Amino acid sequence: MSGYDRALSVFSPDGHVFQVEYAKEAVKRGTCAVAVKGKEVVVLGAERRSALKLHDTRTTPSKLCKVDEHVTLAFAGLSADARILLDKARVQAQSTKLTLEDPVSVEFITKYVAGVQQKYTQSGGVRPFGISTLIAGFDPNDRTPQLYYTEPSGIYSAWKANAIGRSSKTVRELLEKNYEPDMDEEQTLRLAVKSLLEVVQTGVKNIEIAVMRPGQPMDIVDAERLDAVVTSIEAEKAEAEAKAKARPVRREP
Amino acid sequence: MDILIGLQTANEVILVTSRAISRGVSVLKHDDNKVVKLNSYTAMAYSGEPGDVSNFAEYIQANVALYGLRHGIEMTPNSVAAFTRSELARSLRTRKPYQVNLLIGGFHPREAKPMLAWVDYLGSKVDLPYAAHGYAAYYITATLDRYWKKGLTLEQGLKLAAQCVSELQTRMPIDFKGCDVHIVGKSGIQSADLPPIVVAPGVANKPSEATLASA
Amino acid sequence: MSRRYDSRTTIFSPEGRLYQVEYALEAISHAGTALGILAKDGIVLAAEKKVTSKLLEQDISAEKMYALSKHVVCAVAGIDSDASRLVQRARNMAQNHLATYDEEIPCDILVKQLCDTMQGYTQYGGLRPFGVSFIYAGWDPVQGYQLYQSNPSGNYSGWLATSVGANNAAAQTLLKQEFKEELELEDAVQLALKVLSKTMDSATLTSTKIELATVGSGADGEVKYNVWKPADIEVALKKHKEAEEAQKK
Repeated sequence: MSGYDRALSVFSPDGHVFQVEYAKEAVKRGTCAVAVKGKEVVVLGAERRSALKLHDTRTTPSKLCKVDEHVTLAFAGLSADARILLDKARVQAQSTKLTLEDPVSVEFITKYVAGVQQKYTQSGGVRPFGISTLIAGFDPNDRTPQLYYTEPSGIYSAWKANAIGRSSKTVRELLEKNYEPDMDEEQTLRLAVKSLLEVVQTGVKNIEIAVMRPGQPMDIVDAERLDAVVTSIEAEKAEAEAKAKARPVRREP
Repeated sequence: MDILIGLQTANEVILVTSRAISRGVSVLKHDDNKVVKLNSYTAMAYSGEPGDVSNFAEYIQANVALYGLRHGIEMTPNSVAAFTRSELARSLRTRKPYQVNLLIGGFHPREAKPMLAWVDYLGSKVDLPYAAHGYAAYYITATLDRYWKKGLTLEQGLKLAAQCVSELQTRMPIDFKGCDVHIVGKSGIQSADLPPIVVAPGVANKPSEATLASA
Repeated sequence: MSRRYDSRTTIFSPEGRLYQVEYALEAISHAGTALGILAKDGIVLAAEKKVTSKLLEQDISAEKMYALSKHVVCAVAGIDSDASRLVQRARNMAQNHLATYDEEIPCDILVKQLCDTMQGYTQYGGLRPFGVSFIYAGWDPVQGYQLYQSNPSGNYSGWLATSVGANNAAAQTLLKQEFKEELELEDAVQLALKVLSKTMDSATLTSTKIELATVGSGADGEVKYNVWKPADIEVALKKHKEAEEAQKK
């Protein structure tokens, strides 16, 4: 609290760039997003903020966005910032394809997104982007799922499964506990939905899920399929609870 | 020397493009594809300065893809044509304009209507029922004027296209190595073959009323 | 202390908030109420015009409703001068789109582009955010009738019925109670008047105190926007008063 957090991008004596750290707080205030890798599939999910009764879900923009036909980006944080960053990524994806003829690899576009985020922590007169992103997809002619995470500082890393935004810590713990390698699509989808349901109370209405498969464009999971998954997860939970109740409980005299 | 022909039928647009790339008196390639797919329902046939054409086609392709990603909805064929035209008009006012002539064929899925736009390097755009670029236009415009009718079936359209190609084969002193055919309709963009036209050797290549009526 | 994060350009506070943006929102919460309702066959926008002095000329044209393109009209709440700059920008965007693509700009693209402009003013140094919220009513052949609301942060979302400005919490509650999916445009206009009459300070509504705009299909079946003339507002108000009296009885 010595003025080192006022200027836009300055080190404090103990080595902090405060604006970047505060930007991460903005991410934590954002809605939750998750992504899980399966064997030949990546599933992304996002919380749809409080489907207020009067919100028009038809026209409210989604948090799962195409960067190119084979790459999807989910974000948490300030959605206006996300739109700008996303647009830069889309332009870069097409522009790279124009020069190299091949679609961009997932890592390349991640590196670009992280690079832009980094630039906004160092150049003068701007504040950092208040968003973290999960970037997922498949490289051209490759069936290995790819999943990356970027944060406001411009750091990026590869993940098996990850969560960002509100309560992301709880969700990540659940993912750590339940993740298994080489899951099929149904299992992956189930894990993604299950982890989101940790933070979203109202279920189907307030989440959206996208599935990425090799060589195919993003597939938004329809309400019917999602409903089936949610019901089965809830049934499983109820059963577990019932079992726990059935166990004899020692009473205090 | 390249041949670009486009014609509308009731529910499709047919694009016919020659396969040869020639420079001076030499043929350099005999299986060139001069049609690029811009989105699900829009194809563009191009001819002109060899470097310019592929460069320009790829540039338009990238921008149409970008629009689709940005707005979550594909551009309509009409807006693709308008955008392409405006890019050529912009380019014309630079130090080195693109030397590209185009036919843009599309199908409007919402209105279930085909459309064909003729665009040249000067940035002109005209929507037409049938159109051609280059020398081909001199030879076949008359054929199309005479035999194109509103509401042709696809079969009739292909027959008429074959008639045009046959006319070019007969009259033009150039070997253009045959033609590729692309059809844009409600199921997207497909390539096709022209039906064979039987021409007696030495006979002027004029279709009889009967052949066309039977199509 | 509190001045630490809010005096200069837009920067993050330790909680990750943008105070400048929140203060801009504060400015808007004092502005006259504006609301929008999406009906089955159209959209209505209504706004309260604050009459600050009796000496103010009342007969100038609408000052809270602006047409942005052939099929999009918006209502503003906030700083008028900021609004008119953005309106000008939006009109330019709409005409640029028309010139480039030979197509009316789709409603969501216009809103998105305008919001991108607003976002820029929250991220780059030396600029303050715009002090305006907009409600947009629009139509395009892909998504039909659409109602959006944007705010100074550059966020926007789609709504069935929404409000901004003073008393917007009260207005929103009323809208939530009364909104029905199968509402016709004519009923939506009446609902808009009803909500305004409950949230405005003055006891009776007159055509000098409110503004109305609608987007709907005209007699020839083509979709048009219409910024209502005072005489037309009076007609709607008359119906509103009759309905109110009928209810009292």
